Amino acid sequence: MRDWRGYVEERLGSLRIAHGEAEDVAAELIEHLEECYSVLCSKGLPEKEAYAQTCARAGSWKELRRRVNSAKRAGTMTDRVKQIWIPSLVTLLASFIGMAVVLRAGIEPIQPRGVILYLPWLLALPLIGAAGAYLSRRAEASRWRVYFAGAFPALAIAAIFLVTFPFAFFVDSRVVPGFQFSALAAMTVSWVILPLIALCTGVALEGVRKTRAATET
Amino acid sequence: MIRTELKRGTAELAVLSVLEEGPLHGYEIGRRIEEQSGGTLRYTLAALYPLLYRMEHRGWLRGEWETGESGKRRRCYRLLPRGRKMLKPMREEWADLFRALRRVAKVTHA
Repeated sequence: MRDWRGYVEERLGSLRIAHGEAEDVAAELIEHLEECYSVLCSKGLPEKEAYAQTCARAGSWKELRRRVNSAKRAGTMTDRVKQIWIPSLVTLLASFIGMAVVLRAGIEPIQPRGVILYLPWLLALPLIGAAGAYLSRRAEASRWRVYFAGAFPALAIAAIFLVTFPFAFFVDSRVVPGFQFSALAAMTVSWVILPLIALCTGVALEGVRKTRAATET
Repeated sequence: MIRTELKRGTAELAVLSVLEEGPLHGYEIGRRIEEQSGGTLRYTLAALYPLLYRMEHRGWLRGEWETGESGKRRRCYRLLPRGRKMLKPMREEWADLFRALRRVAKVTHA
């Protein structure tokens, strides 16, 4: 009986993953090679030949180690950075720059029922959302990560509101003196809900574009 | 024998397809693919296992250790609904590719 455990441990070396996971990987590979070898032997192959064929089926151990490390570490910080945080930062910066340009150009907002609408900015948001979605999708992100990255500017503003307004209402009323709930609702629509819709539209359109491109290819 | 670069793209569909028939462990997945492809598709450990782990991470499969009748522990892979959902578009994609190749490169029986 061949020592496949020793064979695997010697060639696999140490994986850059959790110890328990590395043991599982090694155990699985050992089991695979043992079975492969015993099947070849049972087919009547001389032991030496069966051993050589089993070893050949392993492929490159260096490549195996590299790919296992990469596959097992998927979902760790590196992936999250590429799939969520970089695209989110891009969409956030782009939306702030867009707003700065609109303000610098002196464009006045329209204000139906207290809702503040900077139309050029709102119209640019689908493009910004699509750009974030493209970056996130390119890093093989899941659907919710793509939407999170694309809609990040609106989500960031929502988070700021969630922190700021309770503070203003209940802790220190001087932060926003004389503040009314109707104004809060109008601000939420202006800075969270409408931007969120615009950004998500961009993300969805980018998804459609990608599907079409895949169909045409 | 098909070159490695070409085989790489086929592996996901091949794995999902054999798992559609029922849960299998790694060796059996490789053996079924090899058998059903007439020996054309044969994946090394370096190709098969990282792919299984990646597909598991995507939520297409779930691998669980099970003890067989012989008392041997094996990691069995099951197709999850998300993986099953991937099969149809993947098959269509490959069918489209084969049709295109037939037209462009005059590939027959593709």
